[in-house]
Amino acid sequence: MQMPLDVQYIIELLPILLKYLSVTMEMAILGFCFAIILAVILAIVRVFKLPVLHNFAGLFISFFRGTPLLVQLFLLYYGLPQVMPIFAGVDAFSAAIIGLSLHFSAYMAESIRAAIMGVNKSQMEACLSIGMTRLQAMRRIILPQATRVATPSLMNYFIDMIKSTSLAFTLGVAEIMAKAQMEASSSFKYFESFLAVALIYWAVIEIFSRLQHYLEIRMNRAY
Amino acid sequence: MKKHIKLIIAAAVAVSSVVSVPAFAKQTVKVGMSGNYVPFTFSSKDVLQGFEIDLWNEIALRSDYDVKFVLSSFSGLFGMLEAGHIDTISNQITITPARSEQYAFTTPYVVDGVQIVTKKGREDISSVADLKGKKVAVNLGSNFEETLRALDPKQEIDIITYDTGFVQDVVIGRTDAFIMDRVGSAALIKKSGLPLKLAGKPFETIENAMPFLKKPEQLAIRDTVNAALLSMGNDGTLAKISIKWLGSDVTQ
Repeated sequence: MQMPLDVQYIIELLPILLKYLSVTMEMAILGFCFAIILAVILAIVRVFKLPVLHNFAGLFISFFRGTPLLVQLFLLYYGLPQVMPIFAGVDAFSAAIIGLSLHFSAYMAESIRAAIMGVNKSQMEACLSIGMTRLQAMRRIILPQATRVATPSLMNYFIDMIKSTSLAFTLGVAEIMAKAQMEASSSFKYFESFLAVALIYWAVIEIFSRLQHYLEIRMNRAY
Repeated sequence: MKKHIKLIIAAAVAVSSVVSVPAFAKQTVKVGMSGNYVPFTFSSKDVLQGFEIDLWNEIALRSDYDVKFVLSSFSGLFGMLEAGHIDTISNQITITPARSEQYAFTTPYVVDGVQIVTKKGREDISSVADLKGKKVAVNLGSNFEETLRALDPKQEIDIITYDTGFVQDVVIGRTDAFIMDRVGSAALIKKSGLPLKLAGKPFETIENAMPFLKKPEQLAIRDTVNAALLSMGNDGTLAKISIKWLGSDVTQ
């Protein structure tokens, strides 16, 4: 290396990058909310084996798990508007959120499905025997228990999602990775710039890992 | 009842004023750029700046457009243009036959040459012929890749396309040389102080301009931009911006 580590530069860069952390977190949090809603629907469709919908959910999960997130983002943002001009109105930020939620919902649907299957079948039978519908049983009895089981792996996906937002730069979203890359290419301090952005990701994810820890303790109180 | 009528009138006035505002508002032109091409478009201390920024601020003044800069990695810019996310690209886009077929270009605002850049102290590379068997970096989606491939019919040059970081790779020595425009290379070496040098003379003349889709409303913007560029060329503004960022006038 031609120069030693410039600590001063990192200290100056951190507040600049932190200004864009809100963009990263907005994408991750909004994306996660949409992904969870979609994932629960997909999981229930799969568990109940609803006709037609079940096949569609299977295809959806197969596609979004079977192709890279970057490819999906490019398809969505650069590809679709060419065939359907209406999609040109979707800005990069929204496209990134849509891409992230579709991609992660496919993974999350599978772990939610596993969590639902993990709740003993006799509980569903008990619910039905006292006159609940299957959907009522799901909402009142099965899902609350499945939530506890699914939480650790869902949190894992959330963490993964935070990191995956860094791909949004390829669509032109000015989030922290984009900023780090731009500062690096004008200052030529690549090591310092990417180290700074790595430290921010690490710190943020550490905070969420702690949160997950407390959440699990709280949810396990009854057990 | 009177009160109601007044309210309705007030609401109608409010609605109509809101609706009519866009008619008076300036048209917004979305200009795509990479934001990591020193000294044309780059961000330092969180301030977007460079040749292209000054140029467009001046075009905005002369054309009465609102200019919005949209940043994306270079390889994504043409996709965004095609998809209608941006109106044009201002990133030293070189006019090539293939691009001219697809896009309507403005008049060229930078005349330049293609340049080989190597690490300082290397004496073995000074022309395209010397690149045989060497690893040569080009930016993904740039015209330099095409230019180089056209000069290398037997595919003896190991051309590597990068999305980012190729300058650093030549400094480290992982790659032997990179190909870029002469003006940008000279400015980059000067500004960065990195141990790089221009190897040999530029080997092809290139003209850079801004591409627009061949659609009526895009062509209208193109014509307005052309008029602004012409007046900037005539009163010396273009030359001034060039000297500010590049040290010499490369706009003729």
